[in-house]
Amino acid sequence: MVISIETKGVWKSYGPVWAVKDLNLEVRKGEIFGLLGPNGAGKTTALKILTFLTKPDRGSCKIEGLDIWKYPLVVKSRISVIPQEINLDKELTAYENLLIYCMLHKIRDKKHKIEEALRFVGLWEYRKEEVRKFSLGMQKRLLLARSFLNDPSVIFLDEPTTGLDPHIRREIWTFIKKAKDKGKTILLTTHYIEEAEYLCDRVAIMNKGEIIACGTPQELKNQVGLWVLESINDTGFEYEFFKTREEALLKAREKEGPVTIRRSNLEDIFIRLTGEKID
Amino acid sequence: MTDFLPILYRELIIYKKRLFKLSYVLSALISPLIYLAVFGFGLGENLTVTGTNYITFLLPGLIAMTSMTNSYIWIANGLNIDRLYFKTFQLLVQAPIKPIAILMGIITAGIIRGLFASSLIISVGLLCCTSFSPNGIFWLGLLLNCFMFSTLGVIIGMITKSHEETAIYSNFLMVPMAFFSGTFFPLEKLPFFVKPLIYALPLTYSTILIRKSQWDRVTLLSLFITIGFSLMFLFLALRLIKNYRE
Repeated sequence: MVISIETKGVWKSYGPVWAVKDLNLEVRKGEIFGLLGPNGAGKTTALKILTFLTKPDRGSCKIEGLDIWKYPLVVKSRISVIPQEINLDKELTAYENLLIYCMLHKIRDKKHKIEEALRFVGLWEYRKEEVRKFSLGMQKRLLLARSFLNDPSVIFLDEPTTGLDPHIRREIWTFIKKAKDKGKTILLTTHYIEEAEYLCDRVAIMNKGEIIACGTPQELKNQVGLWVLESINDTGFEYEFFKTREEALLKAREKEGPVTIRRSNLEDIFIRLTGEKID
Repeated sequence: MTDFLPILYRELIIYKKRLFKLSYVLSALISPLIYLAVFGFGLGENLTVTGTNYITFLLPGLIAMTSMTNSYIWIANGLNIDRLYFKTFQLLVQAPIKPIAILMGIITAGIIRGLFASSLIISVGLLCCTSFSPNGIFWLGLLLNCFMFSTLGVIIGMITKSHEETAIYSNFLMVPMAFFSGTFFPLEKLPFFVKPLIYALPLTYSTILIRKSQWDRVTLLSLFITIGFSLMFLFLALRLIKNYRE
């Protein structure tokens, strides 16, 4: 098992607030790994640390076995980052944006690589258009195209589908899956349960700067129970977890008022561990 | 060595696209020409300053002011917006290039912008003012002025936390400097109590340099002080880029 991304004892504070507390991660080569959690959980800070936008107060980070602060240039040439905000030059055309990225990363055979990337995301016909004329979905696709140009081993995606329509979200998911098929290691942050369940091989659930659970979605669900009995009491919704549907049904008979029995999801794990909802 | 070229290339494409927009032309090029028309051609023939007619005195000052404004403002505003709103600066931080390459790319773009804007005033000066003849000291001073204020632009663009804050530096530092550093009148005419303040401003020395026609003690002193300011700004700007954190 080859480890692509590794963090050990990473702490980061902003003033008196700890954004990341003792982050220990191991992301395997070729997997899609998700950092899941509500806003303010520390996901984006963790990503910023791994992508050179901020430095931890303590702890170490390695990508492909290299300490990112000792070998920044080598590491930077092996990664791509797709930020939450669209950091494209809106005044420039799609082609110009990718050309500048190629120049920054000293990529050979620029024309061929740009054409390949733009065709991959279906934007080749729009290469001469200024990015400001693009829809949000097209801009996200262009960010994806850009991230493939330097043939990175590791791709970081920060909330890749936030604010997108459901059908564009699905489209972006398809591209992310295709990137995995090409052997890329992908670390993404999200607060969408569906996204984490659909895309991620493994997930780390974060809350208040800490990882509170880590594993495959199935493993995590097994830990808390595959079935959920949802009922309403005086204080609001109540969630109870069961290994089998039958156990949940038995318990449901004891309840007064409406109940729902359904399969558990990653949000249920978060609720079980923190007593709060993700959103 | 060539790692700064992508950044310069990006800046120049954006500059080229903005160059033909009316707002840019008006703000960057027309306003110094208005000063020239009003003060220079209006008073120039009738007023003598430091033994020469006013327009010959004014022209180098306006060139220093124009090159300062264009080198500084585009870099400070651009960097601030790229960093805080468009987040395109982050792309440079995450690229496999050294901080000095980022800095040199941005500064070179600022120098080019400053020189381009100045070239219009220089052209007008050469056409309309027979006694205006730029020499080697002039070109050296102009180049250093563009370099110094591009670098200062990087510092302001990196330290400000909003676009409004950048505007505050422009209004309360750059505008007074543009008017009081010997652009419109000789420094000797200023009251003694403001002189220490004026001589603390970097534009004062580059304006002296741009205006000088021969090497003497004052020219050399101005050159060294301008280089000193430039190196200090360069050091600070590099530190800010190296230690960039969100």
